[in-house]
Amino acid sequence: MESAEDWLVESLRLYQDFHAFDLSGATRVLEWIGNKGVFVAGYESLKKNEILHLVLPHRLSVKENQGLFPERDFKVCHGGFSDRCVFALKHVPDTRLLVTSGLPGCYLEVWQVSEDSDVIQVVSTVAVQEAEGSLWPRVAIFASTAPGILHGRRLSDLQIVDLESQKTTYASGVSDREELSSLQVLDGDTFAFCCTSGRLGLVDTRQKWAPSESLRPGPSFSGQSWCADVGGRGQAPGPSIASLGSNGQLRLLDPRDLSRPVSSVQCPVPTPSPDPELLRVTWAPGLHNCLAISGFDGTVQVHDVTSWAAAGNQVEPHFTHSGHLFLDGNGAGSAPLVTTHTWHPCKPRTLLSAASDASLHVWDWVAPEASC
Amino acid sequence: MPEIRVTPLGAGQDVGRSCILVSIGGKNVMLDCGMHMGFNDDRRFPDFSYITQNGRLTDFLDCVIISHFHLDHCGALPYFSEMVGYDGPIYMTHPTQAICPILLEDYRKIAVDKKGEANFFTSQMIKDCMKKVVAVHLHQTVQVDDELEIKAYYAGHVLGAAMFQIKVGSESVVYTGDYNMTPDRHLGAAWIDKCRPDLLITESTYATTIRDSKRCRERDFLKKVHETVERGGKVLIPVFALGRAQELCILLETFWERMNLKVPIYFSTGLTEKANHYYKLFITWTNQKIRKTFVHRNMFEFKHIKAFDRAFADNPGPMVVFATPGMLHAGQSLQIFRKWAGNEKNMVIMPGYCVQGTVGHKILSGQRKLEMEGRQLEVRMQVEYMSFSAHADAKGIMQLVGQAEPRRVLLVHGEAKKMEFLKQKIEQEFRVSCYMPANGETVTLPTSPSIPVSVSLGLLKREMAQVPLPEAKKPRLLHGTLIMKEGNFRLVSSEQALKELGLAEHQLRFTCRVHLHDTRKEQETALRVYSHLKSVLRDHCVQHLPDGSVTVESILIQAAAHSEDPGTKVLLVSWTYQDEELGSYLTALLKKGLPQAPS
Repeated sequence: MESAEDWLVESLRLYQDFHAFDLSGATRVLEWIGNKGVFVAGYESLKKNEILHLVLPHRLSVKENQGLFPERDFKVCHGGFSDRCVFALKHVPDTRLLVTSGLPGCYLEVWQVSEDSDVIQVVSTVAVQEAEGSLWPRVAIFASTAPGILHGRRLSDLQIVDLESQKTTYASGVSDREELSSLQVLDGDTFAFCCTSGRLGLVDTRQKWAPSESLRPGPSFSGQSWCADVGGRGQAPGPSIASLGSNGQLRLLDPRDLSRPVSSVQCPVPTPSPDPELLRVTWAPGLHNCLAISGFDGTVQVHDVTSWAAAGNQVEPHFTHSGHLFLDGNGAGSAPLVTTHTWHPCKPRTLLSAASDASLHVWDWVAPEASC
Repeated sequence: MPEIRVTPLGAGQDVGRSCILVSIGGKNVMLDCGMHMGFNDDRRFPDFSYITQNGRLTDFLDCVIISHFHLDHCGALPYFSEMVGYDGPIYMTHPTQAICPILLEDYRKIAVDKKGEANFFTSQMIKDCMKKVVAVHLHQTVQVDDELEIKAYYAGHVLGAAMFQIKVGSESVVYTGDYNMTPDRHLGAAWIDKCRPDLLITESTYATTIRDSKRCRERDFLKKVHETVERGGKVLIPVFALGRAQELCILLETFWERMNLKVPIYFSTGLTEKANHYYKLFITWTNQKIRKTFVHRNMFEFKHIKAFDRAFADNPGPMVVFATPGMLHAGQSLQIFRKWAGNEKNMVIMPGYCVQGTVGHKILSGQRKLEMEGRQLEVRMQVEYMSFSAHADAKGIMQLVGQAEPRRVLLVHGEAKKMEFLKQKIEQEFRVSCYMPANGETVTLPTSPSIPVSVSLGLLKREMAQVPLPEAKKPRLLHGTLIMKEGNFRLVSSEQALKELGLAEHQLRFTCRVHLHDTRKEQETALRVYSHLKSVLRDHCVQHLPDGSVTVESILIQAAAHSEDPGTKVLLVSWTYQDEELGSYLTALLKKGLPQAPS
């Protein structure tokens, strides 16, 4: 109690805005729809999980006279039930459709967000292959007039399926069975993959499989599980690919030359990550050279990569969000773990973060004098 | 078929005018009588003509219940009771009874004095209305009449707010009004026992909300106050005299202490007197369980907060002032506002909704130039609108349903289409049906009230002696007599009943004559009948008695010669009323004739 009060007082100078919510179930997904809505979904096994479309409190959307809007709550705009755990959820842009992936079973579900009621319902499923233990297919969406779903558990079963016809329009066609940790669509023809081993690649779907790839990380980096995020759609100048390992290592790579990382640092996080599936690294859409990481404990760290050159190998975060640790309503029991985070598409320093205790925070930190 | 009927009345679709009509066990109850703050004409009042077109409301309604003092729950009460006409009892908790008239009077003054409305209730009407009020305590069962009883439960939300259980016989309905499931600094959380009502009626609007935590709201308040005083500005917080003011004071006091701040905080004296009075009222109203959850102290014994003097408003430098009234429509808060409005370093924090016509409402609508007493006032101070009111949200509703365990849930003031998901959620989680009537729409819910009946031991023993034994937990058909006497129901055997009532038992016996062509003697005919029946009626006990008669179970068959025709024999078949079925069957069988005997 006391520490929560202390932290709240501290928060007066650390944050501009701060909102804390309690969802009925913890989420591992935070997917934007437009600038004002997010999707969350439960991942508990053996029960019905909720998929919710939440609309942000009005005051976070208005530009002027914020003080005249007392509404601080999320509105549940739509909701649906899933019999499975939902580990990934992607919105198909310009449609009312969502694609989810999870366990048990090895298939993707396509959902429709109803127009005249508040229901989200399954409209079809996309078969993947036979279920394989706890491997679930990663998903990304090729947005176009005929949207395609990119999915795969390993490099060997990586393919793109047309959403409407369910016909496969692209397949990797390789026998390499390395497991995938993330997929990211960069433009109409290109996507990036990251394997759990740390191997990264950029693929042009117009050609037969011939990705420009990074080398697998050397022995000092091995034994970890990795994820990655490509900033600026792979076209920004400079090192725009960030790769995060479960031992807290963060590598920056330049898409033009993936063979050598531009920099590699050790983040001050408790290691190893208790659950590498929860590792997240994201570039800030509205800030230059800023990224956020989570998945090691109950915090989210924001890093300014331009400060790394001077720092050497050990870096310090520009800002750490500890709200999930201090506002833990349960008190007793293990500390919550941040399950996912995301940046607000328009407000440069606003993030959303969710934790294993079903908390959801929206925070906007105060920039210290330095840039970022 | 017994049923419960619910009709939400009122205008508009948004949360605005709570007024719900419930018919249960032949009784009619009106829940809340609120007004819609957004309308200026008759649309702000519920449509009472719906209740009864020509009859008197007093005759139709058994009682009115008011859940708490917010105007959207009690604002139409004087209009309803004095202008439309109702003289029956109005139930509410003690604090609600004390506070309602003050808010109603304030509201009346604004409407009539500020906005010049004509057809509005008068001060006298408010007084007359309040004379009809019967105040209740928490968890006290109140008999409205010999069949209808009500009970109030703690709802949190605001001082005096209650949820009500309405019971007629074994049927009951719980109405939540506005409630809150998370305790705050001065109010506990709502609580209800596992009363298992047939129906739980609650607001739908909060069900589609996920609320920002109390701490974050408080944080925002502290941040705004702190930033203002740091830059040398003054903060004005117009409050209504209780609850919220105490809470904000406690918050500031704690913060000032921790940060070692020296900026003065004041509260206006009007506040102290009223607040202490209400605080005492509150303490006596709540029970032990709730008293524990709040701060035991003389409300205004603060280190950093002092009584205000109007002269202080002109002091230079930063300060924070709590002043009444809450909507800046008159009095001290308005005076201070006028002095401070011109300086952009200053801030006014409005902690709640303001009625149209008040200065509070105008500035919250964004108006920055105000006309006051013939002069223009330019508002340069910062205006902040903060909502501290404590409402339940989606999670809270699920918690309450889990506590009360109703058979069904009814959500009012929402659009059914927009709540499909919530309906599914409640139905799945609790396996109860969920209803969402529109305003003016009646929902009829059939109920199966249980009527307790005592069964006599003798009757039960007799049943137990039957072969085969009755199966445990399976329904069984009993034959007995129901005696209804002095409000009790007893099931006894028929003999017992006859004895108790002093009646003699009558036996009904039927006799039928069947003519048979048979030239032999009666005794032989009888024997033939016996053989025939014995072979056909394998499952029944067929006997040939020494006197020549034949019995099938308890049915008697005797053969006699026809008086005029020796070739015809007459069979007399007689049976009791209980054996009607077998008797009819036997008769039909015998009429078909006997098989030819070998001679």
